Amino acid sequence: MQLRKRKKGQVRRTLGLVTANLFVATGAYAQTAPAPQPPASQVGDSSGSVLDDTTSDLSTTVLDSSILFYQEKGGRVQAIEPVARLKITGFTGDSLSLKATYDSLTGATPNGATPWKDPQTFTVPATPPGEEASVTGASGNTQIITIPGTGTQVAQYTIAPDRLPVDSGFKDRRYALDMSYGRQLSTDTRLTFGLDGSFERDYRSYSTNVSLAQDFNDHNTTLSVGVNYEYDQSKPHFGTPTPLTEMNGLPKGPNDNKSVLSFVAGITQVMNRRWLLELNYSVGFNKGYQTDPYKIISVVDSVTGGPVKYLYEGRPRSRTRQSVYLANKIAIGPTVTDLSGRYYHDSWGIDSITGEVSEYVPITSRIYVEPQFRYYHQTAANFFNYYLLDGQTLPDFASADSRLGRFSAKTFGLKLGFKISSDGEFYIQAQDYKQSGAATVPGAPGYLATANLFAGVHAQSVMAGFTYTFR
Amino acid sequence: MTSAGEMRVHRFSAMASPCEVRADDPDLILAAHLGQIAEAEARRIEIKYSRYRDDSVVTKINTSHGKPVTLDDETAALLDYADSCYQLSNGLFDVTSGVLRRIWKFDGSDNVPSKQQVAEVLPFIGWNKVTWRRPELILPEDMEIDFGGLGKEYAVDSAVLKIMQVSDAPVLVNFGGDLRVSGPRTGNQRWRVAIESVDGESVSTARLEIANGALTTSGDARRFLLKNGVRYSHILDPRTGWPVKDPPRSVTVAAPTCMEAGVISTLAMLQGKKAEKFLKREGVQSWVVR
Repeated sequence: MQLRKRKKGQVRRTLGLVTANLFVATGAYAQTAPAPQPPASQVGDSSGSVLDDTTSDLSTTVLDSSILFYQEKGGRVQAIEPVARLKITGFTGDSLSLKATYDSLTGATPNGATPWKDPQTFTVPATPPGEEASVTGASGNTQIITIPGTGTQVAQYTIAPDRLPVDSGFKDRRYALDMSYGRQLSTDTRLTFGLDGSFERDYRSYSTNVSLAQDFNDHNTTLSVGVNYEYDQSKPHFGTPTPLTEMNGLPKGPNDNKSVLSFVAGITQVMNRRWLLELNYSVGFNKGYQTDPYKIISVVDSVTGGPVKYLYEGRPRSRTRQSVYLANKIAIGPTVTDLSGRYYHDSWGIDSITGEVSEYVPITSRIYVEPQFRYYHQTAANFFNYYLLDGQTLPDFASADSRLGRFSAKTFGLKLGFKISSDGEFYIQAQDYKQSGAATVPGAPGYLATANLFAGVHAQSVMAGFTYTFR
Repeated sequence: MTSAGEMRVHRFSAMASPCEVRADDPDLILAAHLGQIAEAEARRIEIKYSRYRDDSVVTKINTSHGKPVTLDDETAALLDYADSCYQLSNGLFDVTSGVLRRIWKFDGSDNVPSKQQVAEVLPFIGWNKVTWRRPELILPEDMEIDFGGLGKEYAVDSAVLKIMQVSDAPVLVNFGGDLRVSGPRTGNQRWRVAIESVDGESVSTARLEIANGALTTSGDARRFLLKNGVRYSHILDPRTGWPVKDPPRSVTVAAPTCMEAGVISTLAMLQGKKAEKFLKREGVQSWVVR
């Protein structure tokens, strides 16, 4: 029985207020910062940075494909690299990833010798007739000559004066296959297993890895550990030269190999809603043949700096490498900043630091740009030398490979992406990479004091690709 | 229920009802996690407020023999709520009405209690007889507090709020037919819900689409007594101790929260033949089956 006339909706309104009060009182509206889902750490993932979002959505198939065009200035190396990757994730989170890469390289690469005011001729073993000419080291300007008095054929190529000697006609093709299987052992634990193979005519690499990632604190913290074993076979076309022996056209020694065992441990931590941090430490042990069979080092006259002879380089058979890597992903408004650094140290005496920053900037709901900058600096390996002096005792190891020298490098890049839908994206990325280093060393004899000994790569690349998620 | 084969359903049993949680997110590990959050909350509330458990707060209150009981914040908030519902319903909604259970058993038989039996139990019903000065409750001897009319709805709302604290994924939490969604499904789509009413042999189904808020259904056509051709519904008026006359078979109410929907659908049932008028005057979206 109503004793008073009720206004329309009075019970409902009062009840609404009272219910709101109830939940405020019970603390149900307490603003605890919601925990974003951090990406699962796949330490063994061969695709690179562990910060890449490798948590694919469940029950999806992701297809990634890209092609890279790379060109070094000065007629050096040119490469094309198409890559395709397929990743299938089941509804339990288990996933299988397959990647195929093809590399085609041509062009010229420094052979390690120093320049001279006169033409220089280099002798390498000849490619037997009938065999494919696409062998690393076979020069485009080579002439096949037969050594008088013997039946032996050798190849020779000549470099113009005042030029850093390069081995042109360099051609290489490489195929690589990578497979990774991830299994969700529980909501918080993931086991990943990977197999990789890379195949070139004169080099084969096989590796396998296992890693375990464990989440804590409501998936805010992930600890991961991984181990990787790699076995590489070096099969230079004309055999393996004995290190620090004279360069000639005779057939060389048998194939050689190396193995690598490495470990990595890392932590990924959601610092707050907008900041994801990753820290990892890795250590690797290389044992076996690590010399570049095609690289030489000039033995020069200690007064003129002119070449006396050329020796095959030689590097130690063991190497211990360590690195510490720190990466941050920070969301500021609609943009995402990636800031990372790495410190590297190895038993060959190389110390390096890398710093990288990139900024993801959405322009419209479909288009984004991502400028990036990377700085790198390394010290030289303790057996690195641009040349050896004639008359001095031969060291145990020596290499003039500029990749082991002291240099710094800057990369400027810009990526442009276009989202065709929430599931697909096209992108194009351009980069300019330039190395800089000392042209010569103090005390360089004669001609070499004013020559440019630094091989210095300056390369530009463009990569175009797309990614699409099928649900 | 909902159409997508993409959504896995987290099912469990709690509060004597089949429960389910659906999360509209392709990350099914997240969905399972959210389902577990809802399940944990349902069990927590069930354990805390169950009449049947020795360790529950309700049992502590009901065995206090008239002595003051100090209550925790959550229970105090629920009692404040019960108090408000009592006031705004003019005594129709009363958490002390559970003692009527002792004399009314709705098993389809003709065991209607006598007037005397009802008169004997009435003194032990009435929220106005309870002394509630937060956080202290004094419940007179032989009276009972029963959160049965609020418990499931409270659990649904609490579960949804707990889920919303950790995830933006749209979820639907359904405990035995009392349900709430945290928001529309991805792509601004509505959740599809089927409402079944069972009347003896026949099952009729209505389909509703919901983008926000909660739905509860009151009424159970199976629970009644039949004597001398008179059907006694199980909706008891706590002021008289007798069933309400001509209540609807079922009332489904949509409201922003499950608790509001639950209280309104209970109040509507208690209006008997005036249920539709009550719901219309309140401006509540509802479906009444007679």
